[in-house]
Amino acid sequence: METGGIMTTQTLGVEKSRERIKTRINMGMGMGIFLLPLIWMDTTTYFTLTVAGISLGMLIFLIASGLTLIFGLMDVLNLAHAAFFAFGAYAGAAVLNGFDSLGWISTASLPESLLYLVSALLAAGLTGAVLGIATETLVIRKVYGDHLMQLLVTVGVSFVIVEILKIVWGVNNEVVPVPMGFQDSFILWGVFIEYFRVVAIVLGIGVFAGLQFVLKKTKIGIIVRAGVENREIVKTTGYNISRIFTLIFAAGAALAATGGIMMAVFNQAVDPGMGDQFLIFALIVVIIGGMGSVTGSFIGAVMVGLSFNYVAYLIPKMALGVNFMIMAVILLIRPKGLFGKE
Amino acid sequence: MTKKISAPETGICPERTNKTIPVMYYQAGLVIFIALIPFLFPSFRVMDVVAKIMIFTIVTASFDLLLGYTGILSFAHGMFFGIGAYSIALILFFAPNPSWVHIPLSIVVSLLVSIGLSVIISFFSLRVKAIFFAMLTLSLAEFAHILGVQWSGLTGGEDGISFTLPSVFNFNHSLGTLFHTEINGRLLVYYLILASTIALFAGLLRFIRSPLGRVLKAVRDNEQRTTALGYKTFGYKLYSIVFSSCTASLGGILFSMWLCYVNPGSVFHTAIMVNILLMVLIGGMGTLYGAMIGASFLIVTENWLPGLLKHMAAFAPESTLVNNLADRWQLYFGILFILVVLFFPKGVIGTIRSQMNLNRQAKQP
Repeated sequence: METGGIMTTQTLGVEKSRERIKTRINMGMGMGIFLLPLIWMDTTTYFTLTVAGISLGMLIFLIASGLTLIFGLMDVLNLAHAAFFAFGAYAGAAVLNGFDSLGWISTASLPESLLYLVSALLAAGLTGAVLGIATETLVIRKVYGDHLMQLLVTVGVSFVIVEILKIVWGVNNEVVPVPMGFQDSFILWGVFIEYFRVVAIVLGIGVFAGLQFVLKKTKIGIIVRAGVENREIVKTTGYNISRIFTLIFAAGAALAATGGIMMAVFNQAVDPGMGDQFLIFALIVVIIGGMGSVTGSFIGAVMVGLSFNYVAYLIPKMALGVNFMIMAVILLIRPKGLFGKE
Repeated sequence: MTKKISAPETGICPERTNKTIPVMYYQAGLVIFIALIPFLFPSFRVMDVVAKIMIFTIVTASFDLLLGYTGILSFAHGMFFGIGAYSIALILFFAPNPSWVHIPLSIVVSLLVSIGLSVIISFFSLRVKAIFFAMLTLSLAEFAHILGVQWSGLTGGEDGISFTLPSVFNFNHSLGTLFHTEINGRLLVYYLILASTIALFAGLLRFIRSPLGRVLKAVRDNEQRTTALGYKTFGYKLYSIVFSSCTASLGGILFSMWLCYVNPGSVFHTAIMVNILLMVLIGGMGTLYGAMIGASFLIVTENWLPGLLKHMAAFAPESTLVNNLADRWQLYFGILFILVVLFFPKGVIGTIRSQMNLNRQAKQP
């Protein structure tokens, strides 16, 4: 894969700027489409749905970003991602349940609720990271450079993790206690907005900004990107590239796990199959945004979240179908996705 | 490209010495044995297991055509299987008075749907990279599962549809007894499955040994070089996908006819896809015959492992962990799956074949 990586970065400058202008025009048209639902609904409903859609999009972004990060940097399509997501949801829910048994959840004020949520997020992230490290060192490391084997082995890992989850927590749906502070909402321009939605949006944007910063501005980001281009040369300069890859995989898994607990609180429930349902969203987002592009999956996630909410309001049965249609249209126009490189 | 899975060579048969028994005798023996099973083993369970093995041999072999011979990983194979199963179930369930005409009708319907869908999927995803195909088919397969569960007006939701087969295939329709075994509709369906399995398997063998099949192997091994040699690889991949998904949907029809019942969990669920993958891997990718071994192993284990584990768990009735470990027998399949991929990627047939090649090379200096 090393030679392929170099070739893609050497695209001609002229072509690049032309591509960029094209993308801008397309993006503008894309934005315009999202005003279309206004024909069938009043502005208050539209605003409510937009806020809900963006927050759903941010949650989907958390899952998709981990997937695209692992793919973009390590060239591994990790199908065990859904399992990390579900495991994180259960781990975080266990923490919230622990607080609940102490009676803290039902009386929590907003700052307290935030504190509880952050600790659940940390627990989920940590579990995800541990699972990620275990998966990477035990399994993935043996199949670098072979897409087919990676796909197969990660399917197996996903199956095993979900089964372990069922052994530990049982097979049934469970209710997740939502901290009291998040059940409130505030009014903005005549629209009720739940605090949790704001938290989701802030977290999503924060993760997006953080990823961009780490990858583009820090030394570790430079090493990682160099490692993708040419592993051997980075090795000769004295960096332990396999440890860095383990770190990326752990980060991706942790992102999936935090996405899991956020989604669990959002839906107020967990079930063992939840990973599969949201893997569809994540895959659609990654296909729309272009594999390996964090910006692409951010925009893709917002698109999917918004369109899902609008259509779920207008024609409930079509909600998931419309996402497939968006994916199909984008694949027709740009087969490599909005921000895809290869 | 770094290392690739080297699926074992199958196309060029080395010249046989007179000592070896032709494969045809083995094949004929196996067919006769399977045909006699209803008379040899009176218990229904054995017949049920053998019928399912035959059905999954077909589904797995057709999947092997994609994975082992063309190098494409499709997660929608279970979906095509489900399309076949649902098409016959829906047609027989909603038809006012089902007759034998509805069986060929449902075959036509499921083939048309499978061809249409697989062509659409290929046009959308094959243009870029093989990995795209995996992602797109995975999301589509999940979508099909959700559709099967939620569109309860048509599919009956989680509860599924049960139906009765028309005319001679009806399970209550008896034609008398032969050697103490009742010749009823179920037995006829069993022989229908046997005949279709032979026909479809022979079709698959013919497909991979045709010039087209050889081009597919070339695509798997090095797509760029195949293109450079002047082959339009997209068309060849499309043939392979269409042919294998049609075969899978025919397998689905047989499955549905055998059980007279379908639900989303039994045909659309990811676990079915994982099972098919495991069958291909155990038998050996790119061998076709491996499908038989994989399907036999998995279905036999699936039938007897849960009971065995229950017996073992009975030794520690208090411990919930032990009981849970015994209940979740799928876990062991998952672990087996990972181990096979990592340490036994050639599968049973592949390993035997490469061993035989080594022996032959050792004999010829």
